Parts: sequence; structure tokens; C-alpha cells
Amino acid sequence: MNRGPFIFLGVLIILVFSWTTVILKPNQEVGQLLAILDDDQGGRLPRELQGAAQHGKEIYQELGCIACHTQQVRVAAGTDIERGWGNRQSVARDYIDQDRVLLGRKRLGPDLSNVGERRPDVAWHLLHLYNPQINSRGSNMPAYSFLFDTREIVGSPSSRAMELPEAFSPPEGFEVIPTRKAESLAAYMLSLKVDYDLNEAPKSPETMADELAIALENAE
Amino acid sequence: MSFIDNVFSSLRPELSGDAENRARERALDGAIRFPLLSLIKSSSVWLVIATIFGLIASIKLHSPGFFADCPILTYGKVEPLFWNTLVYGWLFNAGLACAIFILTRLGGRSGAPTTFLTISIVLWNTGVMLGVIGIMAGEQLPYAWLEFPSFVGPVLFIAFVGIGLSCLLTFHARVYRSSYVSQWWILAALFSFAWIYTAAQVMLVCLPAQGAIQALINSWYVENVFGLFVAPTAFATILYLIPKTLGSHVIGYKYSAYAFWSWILFSSFAGVSDLSFGPIPVWVSSLGVVASFGLLLPTTTLSIQFLSSLFRKFSVIWSSATARFLLAGSVIFLILMYYKIFGSLRGSLATTQFSQFDSGVDLLALLGFAGMVFTGGIHFILPRLFNKELPSSTIVDLQFWLQLLGVMLVSIGLISGGVLHGELINESIANSIAVVTALKSGFFLTTLGMFFFFLSSVCGVVTYFTILLSNRVEAEQSVDLINEAPELEYTAP
Ligand code: HEC
Repeated sequence: MNRGPFIFLGVLIILVFSWTTVILKPNQEVGQLLAILDDDQGGRLPRELQGAAQHGKEIYQELGCIACHTQQVRVAAGTDIERGWGNRQSVARDYIDQDRVLLGRKRLGPDLSNVGERRPDVAWHLLHLYNPQINSRGSNMPAYSFLFDTREIVGSPSSRAMELPEAFSPPEGFEVIPTRKAESLAAYMLSLKVDYDLNEAPKSPETMADELAIALENAE
Repeated sequence: MSFIDNVFSSLRPELSGDAENRARERALDGAIRFPLLSLIKSSSVWLVIATIFGLIASIKLHSPGFFADCPILTYGKVEPLFWNTLVYGWLFNAGLACAIFILTRLGGRSGAPTTFLTISIVLWNTGVMLGVIGIMAGEQLPYAWLEFPSFVGPVLFIAFVGIGLSCLLTFHARVYRSSYVSQWWILAALFSFAWIYTAAQVMLVCLPAQGAIQALINSWYVENVFGLFVAPTAFATILYLIPKTLGSHVIGYKYSAYAFWSWILFSSFAGVSDLSFGPIPVWVSSLGVVASFGLLLPTTTLSIQFLSSLFRKFSVIWSSATARFLLAGSVIFLILMYYKIFGSLRGSLATTQFSQFDSGVDLLALLGFAGMVFTGGIHFILPRLFNKELPSSTIVDLQFWLQLLGVMLVSIGLISGGVLHGELINESIANSIAVVTALKSGFFLTTLGMFFFFLSSVCGVVTYFTILLSNRVEAEQSVDLINEAPELEYTAP
């Protein structure tokens, strides 16, 4: 053990071994996936982000929403399905378009994989971003009021001005307008939904039972 | 300006007394004085900055209005700022300071090109600074402990290679041909970090792998930064300082090689268990669990070495600040590994996944275990570099107790709070606002703990600057101020 090269070689072998098993092997198994074309489910799966939502994803990354929100649904553990956060397991193919993956490691807030389905109203998201206390009283999500402009009303009020409850409204003669960043972020939220099935994605027994019941009903 | 004179006298001590006495040690310390000071200074300052970020982040969780209008300090930015300044600012600087000191002393000769080493250190800290600015400016990447914007990667890499090369040159230039276990740990840490950082930068930042694999690489990286860099440097420091402060051999030294190789092997596989239930193949996380259990072997060996050596000389612990930090670090190490190993089980993860629990264990590792050990190391190094006493034992004591209290409060807040958090998010269908409300008291505890950390880090900075700026008193002008411990490293117990 007296020699540097011996330690170097030993450590190198172990690290290469670890890297090949833990990273390279899974990368061969699930790291080269392609999108699927499925006309019954509306074309390319997973669905691609469009325009404003793509920009919104960058804002999500820039502001570090990932510190509190995950984007992954688990079937084998947790209560994700009961909470209505999704109806199937998230699998590797769901993430192939994310050049910067936003899987997340912390859930101080809810999972957002399907938030677009749960909360389809842009106005709700804008209000929530402006100040979560407006529609989620007691939340500790930060207010992103810096994504909004408060400006003096010149002439007639803008059609894009936010309708804020009294307690949160700007002084008389002022209005609050969402910036492009706020609008893109809200568009991104609406785009977050996993509304397609993949063959490899397991569902929970409850979901399958529900689907079976619906299918039977339709058949009758 | 007496301050300036004092700095000069600190940097170039002219001592009286028997010139032969400690001549070798003094020459060694002199050769690395400047780079070491720049490492220690940067580490202390970064720790203050990190704890301020940590404090802001933790306050925001119970009082979201705090600095809410400030876009550069939104929670999603201060949280990564906290972890990154903690890891790359505090731990790397402090750990490398201990590493360079140990390599030089153990080898008996410094082979490091001082200017080159100092430039690398400055470059490293510039990189960290750029990263901080980048995150504030909104350039962060969504990878844990790798949030620094992509252009920072090469800067840190080059700087690290510079520092690492200097360490290798010192090791190469050693006069004692045999080597002590601390040297193995340090070499392993240097090789490993260069490798895992390259792998992570290439596969995440430059040529990102497909989505789910990125999460895997990220987990592997995070666990290995601790397991293969931070922990090994801390082990090296403990194993070097035990004989130095206690004046006796490390008990069970002959098992060191087993502990060394088994730790490196298992910890390089251990990290990925936290991705259980996620979109990666199940076998990968199972492998992580098996490897975590493998860590029981080196953990037991190392803990027995540390604790039985320390307890045998328990009386010294009250008189030596360094030994006290080592004892605290070693005890925390044991607790930490308990959480890490048993926390990796699928059953535990089913409860704690996505909760604050992980942050609690990470903080126990970084601030509790490694933080304590490196602080002890710095308190050992500083008096030798300057040939001065630590300026105030009260401040050192205060720093110790504040840090210990901080560790306790933060770990209760985040680990127990995290278990509660996990139960609520994974085993109930309580809505998120109810969860946040239930966690309030845990958030408050964490804030209090962070506040203590902040105070203790201020003590560290105060110690550093007072010893640098203080007047050299009579006793400190003599080479006899410091008694070198006997060289026990190369003799059989
Ligand atoms: C401090 C942690 C934190 C951060 C940072 C954070 N959130 Fe939240 N978020 C929460 C909490 C807690 C809730 C649940 C209560 C609520 O609705 O506000 C939540 C809820 C939400 C919801 C509603 C989800 C639902 O199912 O009702 C959306 C959408 C959301 N957050 C988006 C974001 C976006 C976008 C960002 C980044 C700009 C972000 N969050 C940053 C904590 C956070």
C-alpha cells in the first residue's frame, strides 16, 4: 500500500466498475428511447412542448421551482394515485424530450406532472404565482410578484390586467400586468399533463379497476 | 500601521530560541503557509456566506414573505446557493487545506509549486463566486449540487486539477517512502473527485444523457461527492490528528486497508437508492441498497478506530480543542451512517422519499461530521502556521458548542421533521397546505439551528482574522511555543 500508483489503479478500477454498472448499463437499457407514434392517442408520445410552454420551462428552471416540486408519479409507493396526481407510473420515456430533466427530489409542494389537468385555468395560475395566498391561503410557496408589472393606468385599463381581490390589489389608479415570463410559466403549467398511456408504464390496481369498469359500461 | 506589521510577522515569523528545534516542521509549514492560508480564509468566509443563505432559505419556509420581492433571493435560488457554497466553498477549501497540510507533514517535504498552487486556489474560489452569481442571475441547472451554470464546470475542473497536481507532487517528493493511511485516503479523494466531476459534467452538462438517466447520474454524483471526496478527506484528517493530539497510536490501525478498500467500493455504488420507485430500472436502486449495507463493514471498523482511540485518552479531549472537534465528528459519523444505511431501504424510502429527511442527513454529513472534523483540523493548523496561540479559547469553545447545538437542532428539525413530512406526503392524502402547517415547528427548529451555525461560522472567521492580525506576544516569538507530537505514523503500535 505504499505506492501512489497502486492506490490510483485500485480506485480507478472501482470507479470505472461503478460507473459502468450504475450509469452505463441503465443508459443502454433505458437511455436510448425513441418517441412513439400512436394515432389513437393523438400522435407523438410523449407530447412535445410548444412555444410559450417551452419558454416557461426555462423560467421554471431559472427560478428553481424544482426545489419544492417533483414531476414524477409513483405507483409502487406513496399516495400519488389516491391524490389524483396521475394515473400511472412515470417511466423513462416520459422524459426523453427534457434536455434538462426536472424530475425533482423534494415535495414541499404537490407533484406537478399532471397539474395542467387538475388546474386548467390560466387565471388561477397567474393569481397563484402573483401571490399564493390569494388562492392557496397558508401555502409557503413564495410569491413571484416580481414576474408582474405594476403600472399606472394610462387611458383605459389594459385587457391583460389581473383581477385581484381587494386585499392584494395595487393602489388606486394602478394595474398589475403579467410579464411574458409569468405568462410563459403559466402556459408551461397548463401543458403539464401525462394524458397518454405507454405500454411499459404500470398502472395501479385501482386505476385499472376503474378503467375496466368504464370499458364494461361502454360495452353495455 | 501595526496591523500590517502584524500580518507580515504572521506570514514571515522571525523566531528566537533554539534554531534546531522543530526546524523541519517549521520549514515545511513555511513552504505551504501562503496557499494554506488562502484555503483556510476562503473556507471560513464561504461558511459564513453559506450559513447566511441557509438561514434565509430556512426562514422562507415558515415566513414566505421574507425577502419575497427580491428575485435573486427567491427560495429556488437560495436553496441551491446554500448547498453549493457549503460544498464547494466551505468543505472543499477546508478539506483541501487539511489534505495539503497532512501530505506535506507526513511526506516530510513539500513538492508543491507554491505560486501555481495559490493560483489554482484563487481560480477555484473565483469559479465558486461565478457560480453564485450565475445562480442569482437565473442561469442555474436543475441538478442537485451541480446547479452552477455550465461555464463554471471547466473553471472548477481546471482549478481542481491544479490543486490535485500540487498534492500529487508533494506526495511524490516525500522523503519517507512508506505511507500512512491518511495519505491513501487523500489520494483516493483527489482521484475520485476528478473522475466523478468529469463524468457528471460530460454526461449532464455538455452532452446530456436522456432525461431519466440524468437523474441517475445526479444521484450518483451527489452521493460520491460525499462518499469519495468529503468523507475520505475527513477520515484522513481524523486518522492523522488522533496520534498528533492524543500522543498515541490509532487503535486497530492494522485494519485500515480493509476499511479503506471496502469504503471506496461500497460507497461508489451506494448513492442511487434514493431513486427507488422512480423511472429507472429497479435493479439499479436495489444495487444501491445492497451497497449501502456493505458500508456497515468500513463504518464499524472506522468508528472503532476513532472512538476507541479517543476514549482511551478521554482526559485530553477536555484540554485540546482539536480533539473535542474530532470526538464530536466521530460520534456524528456513526449516527449519520445509521441514517444513511437504514434510510436506503425501500421500506424507509417509502416513507421518507421526497421529504426533508434527505437534507437532514446531508447536513449531518456535511456540517456535522465533515464540518466538525475540518474545523478541528483548522484549529490544529493555524497555530503552527503562524507560531501563535489560538487567540481565544473562549471563542473556540463557543464555536464548538454553537456548532454542536446547530447540528442537533437542524437534524431534529429536518430528520424527525422529515419523517413526519414523509408520513404526511407518502402515507396520507393530507393536502399540501395541511402538510406545510404541520411542519411549521420543524421549520422553526431548523431556522434556529441555522442561526447557531451562522454564529459558529462567525466565530471561525473571528479566530482566523485575530490570529492573523494580532500582535506577536513574547511567548509566541519563541520556537518552543509548540510541542510537536512524536512521529508515530511509521512505527508499529
Ligand atoms: C418553498 C417551496 C415552493 C417553491 C419554491 C415553489 N412552490 Fe409551488 N407550491 C408549494 C406548495 C407548498 C404548494 C401547495 C399549496 C399551494 O397551492 O400553494 C404549491 C403549489 C403549487 C401549484 C399548485 C399545484 C396544485 O396541485 O394545486 C403550482 C402550479 C405550483 N406550486 C407551481 C410552482 C412554480 C411554477 C414554482 C416556481 C416558480 C413553484 N411552484 C415554486 C411550494 C413551493
